Amino acid sequence: MTSEMTARAPLVELRNMSVSFGGVHAVNDVTVDLYPGEIVGIVGGNGAGKSTLIKTLSGAQRADSGQIFIDGEPVSINTPRDAKALGVETIYQTLALADNLDSPSNMFLGRELVTRWRTLDDSGMEDAARKVMTRLNPKFQNFKVPVASLSGGQRQGVAIARAVHFNARILIMDEPTAALGPAETEQVRGLMRRLQQEGIGIFLISHDIHDVFDLAGRISVMLQGKLVGTVNKDDVTMDEVLAMIIIGKLPEEVTKTELEQLHG
Amino acid sequence: MSVVEAPPTQSDTPEQSTRRSFGSFLRDNEIDTRMAGMIALLLVIWVGFHFLSGGTFLTPRNLWNLSVQTSTVGIMATGMVLVIVSRNIDLSVGSMVGVVGMVMAILQFEWLPPLMGLGNQWIWIITIVIGLALGALIGAFQGSIIAYAGVPSFIVTLGGLLVWRGFAWLTASGRTLAPMDATFQLLGGGSRGSLGETGSWVVGGVACIGIVALLVLGRRRRRKFGFRLRPMWLDVTLGVFGCAVVLGAVWVTNSYYLPESIAREVAEERGIPWPQGGLQIPLGIPYPVLILIGVTLVMGFIANRRRFGRNIYAIGGNPEAAELGGINTRRTIVKTFMTMGILVGVSAAVSIARLNAAVSGLGTLSELYVIAAAVIGGTSLSGGIGTIPGAILGALVMQSLQSGMVLLGVGAPMQDVVLGVVLVTAVAIDATFRRRTAR
Amino acid sequence: MKLLNRRFLALLAVLVIVVAACGDDDTTGTTADGGTGTTGAGGDCVVGMSWNNYNEERWAKHDEPAMKAAIEAGGCSYISSDAGSSEEQQITDVENLIADGANVVIILAQNTQAILPAVEAATAEGIPVIAYDRLIEDANTFYVSFDNVLVGKLMAEVIFDLVPSGNYIIVKGNGADANSDFLREGIESVIGDAVAAGDITIVGEDYTDNWAPDLAQTHVEQWLTQADNDVQAVVSENDGMATGAAAALAAQGLSIPLSGQDADVAALNRVALGTQSVSVWKDARELGKAAGTAAVALAGGATLADVEGTAEFVYTNKESGVATTLVSILLVPIPITQDNLNLVVDANWITVDELCAGVTAGSVAACP
Repeated sequence: MTSEMTARAPLVELRNMSVSFGGVHAVNDVTVDLYPGEIVGIVGGNGAGKSTLIKTLSGAQRADSGQIFIDGEPVSINTPRDAKALGVETIYQTLALADNLDSPSNMFLGRELVTRWRTLDDSGMEDAARKVMTRLNPKFQNFKVPVASLSGGQRQGVAIARAVHFNARILIMDEPTAALGPAETEQVRGLMRRLQQEGIGIFLISHDIHDVFDLAGRISVMLQGKLVGTVNKDDVTMDEVLAMIIIGKLPEEVTKTELEQLHG
Repeated sequence: MSVVEAPPTQSDTPEQSTRRSFGSFLRDNEIDTRMAGMIALLLVIWVGFHFLSGGTFLTPRNLWNLSVQTSTVGIMATGMVLVIVSRNIDLSVGSMVGVVGMVMAILQFEWLPPLMGLGNQWIWIITIVIGLALGALIGAFQGSIIAYAGVPSFIVTLGGLLVWRGFAWLTASGRTLAPMDATFQLLGGGSRGSLGETGSWVVGGVACIGIVALLVLGRRRRRKFGFRLRPMWLDVTLGVFGCAVVLGAVWVTNSYYLPESIAREVAEERGIPWPQGGLQIPLGIPYPVLILIGVTLVMGFIANRRRFGRNIYAIGGNPEAAELGGINTRRTIVKTFMTMGILVGVSAAVSIARLNAAVSGLGTLSELYVIAAAVIGGTSLSGGIGTIPGAILGALVMQSLQSGMVLLGVGAPMQDVVLGVVLVTAVAIDATFRRRTAR
Repeated sequence: MKLLNRRFLALLAVLVIVVAACGDDDTTGTTADGGTGTTGAGGDCVVGMSWNNYNEERWAKHDEPAMKAAIEAGGCSYISSDAGSSEEQQITDVENLIADGANVVIILAQNTQAILPAVEAATAEGIPVIAYDRLIEDANTFYVSFDNVLVGKLMAEVIFDLVPSGNYIIVKGNGADANSDFLREGIESVIGDAVAAGDITIVGEDYTDNWAPDLAQTHVEQWLTQADNDVQAVVSENDGMATGAAAALAAQGLSIPLSGQDADVAALNRVALGTQSVSVWKDARELGKAAGTAAVALAGGATLADVEGTAEFVYTNKESGVATTLVSILLVPIPITQDNLNLVVDANWITVDELCAGVTAGSVAACP
């Protein structure tokens, strides 16, 4: 982390978040933060609590305790609508698209443009969709067909275009490339870098360690609902991050034998 | 229109794409091929019955009857489309027709006349307002249980099917209430319940202007945003075809004349001497059909041009996505059922006006006809897909079959067999068609 | 969301009030569901009544009170159930009535054959079964009804007197109900010869699912269209369907003879107005009383043939040709026309106000 970054307030800070289901602590006193133009990878095995943690920010899950700060100000996020109002957009692992609707309708899902007479402004929405999509993917032309018939990459493009159009400042991407082929994955990575350059902060949730190393500046590792630690990508090796994910030890605590056992 | 038919597959072989080039041409120009197919099917049915019935089916009188007979199911089918699109079902509409119809009848038959005097002009208006409000209330009540208590709509409305039928009986202890208020009766069609010649041409003319205006505005809007335009000749053809259908329909209703005995009464009222060769007074568009057209326009507008409608389609497509997208899905579901309830009120008013009586069994089994109309019209029971005009066509196809078979003297059991077969065939064809085109 | 929850609760509250208010009006004493009827203080003698579908005006208003009075006058108690038009439910209902202690069961059958298993079970336990209004094809049942063939004959006679030749429409009831065919048989006995001789032509005839008035209306509209209004008479097997037929005729400005039965208030009003020629009146109170009295006698150990006023009735199934001989009481119905409207008024079946609504004073004798 550079000294310049720490000088400013983080764009988002999730402080001491806890969520439990029944008696199980899905998220246990976790603190993470994110600066503008930064990609923070959140990694961990299945059930580590990554998705649950991030849902407290997207409004899909209420936290039992903890506080969220945006631009240093405490905020209260109870519904997806609250999150969107604060500039937090989410791209879900299960694509949150209505398959029967076309891409402009999906981009504006729940936030449809209306005309003066309170009727839907379909032309306006199509126009806006064309503008954003051309920026992200100049080849895309299928604006009038249901998204069910689009390819995985194109569908992910629609989800990202939605976030971009609504001027997201904070983007949550939950396994954005899980369902995609290699070419489409590369397409989405390119998109993320472009968004990063525009100053958007991105939380990237993934269990693909290569994805994270390729894109993220910092990596927060979770294990069994707890934060193992947050490290700068440049300061660690992939093996050391693996050790954090699997045995929950920070690079300075882990022994050489333990590292070797990981590959055994 | 954002709810569109499935597009061609991405990997057409050359011969496939030539074979489908006409279809894709229609799709590129936003013409609903499914709808066109249904209209063709309807025409085949009509012409078939015309020959089998020895030339009775395609007479103005029969078509006029057919349009009136279709209206009660058609009105409710427009609401059922939205209910089914939202991944729900409403099995209670038939029983709701019973209770709402009974309440409207008892209002104008027993409760209001002593208060306001028999024949008071306000009676029919108050009756309708209360009837629609009751429909809305019942719909909202059922919708709330579905949306907020999380009980599946199938169960809630199955319960409603029993409950409201019971209330229909309790309202008047099973009596038949007749006759209805004189003005109210007009809503049902009958001999006096139509618009007359001039009025019908005016409605036809306005509709024609409306079609042209929509096409022109559509072109202007697309040009403004720089989108691809339909070829000019196609827009002109669509305009001419639409106007021809509308004006043709008006001509048909105006070619059906009042029966002689009623024409004599009318002539007497208007002080016209009865001419030697008789007097031909055209009936014009029946009021129930005018109501059906109005309902279709309003519901089409809600489905395609309002956020409420778009949100229903979004919920039907992916309820989770709709919720995450910030749509208040629960309130939308309540409003959907409330809309259905209001339409039940409209339909109940037309039913009792047409029968000129209310009976506690009114509307029995009509939930099945309403659902069948929506489904034959292309509404998918898995949600997300369905159109308002499609449901109207579905209702028309069913009523055409039913009325046509009565003309041919086909017995009641055989009629049921044919309707059932048609329902399943229509859905089977639809499913195959969708699978083939949606990869 | 909180606000909406509150709205939802308010709605719920309104509905509860409505339900409660309507409940107060319900003094019929029937239970909505099978077999849990209230057991009275009749001791050992309990008569169980299974309605197929309580959803008709006459049952609550006329049949049940008379039946109940006769049963209670005989020192027995009355319990009942409603099958809501379901054949399966009715079988369960009968079983429940027996389980609740009924010594005699009266059944108004939804389906004259589907009910047989329940009847056989009751007979096996030595419990007498009375078939009320509708026949049950079992020789061990006691058939109490109006003579439905006679009803058909009486309505057809009135129409045939008015229209001895011409085109007829015949609106029949539900195809699964034996009464539809009894009525048709009676109609045939009057017009059959004229039809064979070619004086009468039937231009439209069909069963009407559930006796539904709106369906009858559509049917009559279509037949009138096909015959180009060249129709001189409509024989409708009941008043409900006559309501639909009357609406279809009125739309064509036709004023032709029309029949019905049940003496519904709306139909009697039409008779007074002259838009319906006849409604055959089966005084349901007499029927209820006869069944109630017979039930008491049977509960007291009388055999079927011992009951007063019985005769043998032979029913031949149309399809199978099997003949069933039943002990029966068949009451005689009365055709009500403009000439004898005073009968229904005098019997307190209908008030003069109801009968004469919209009728020009003095146009018929019953409406001064």
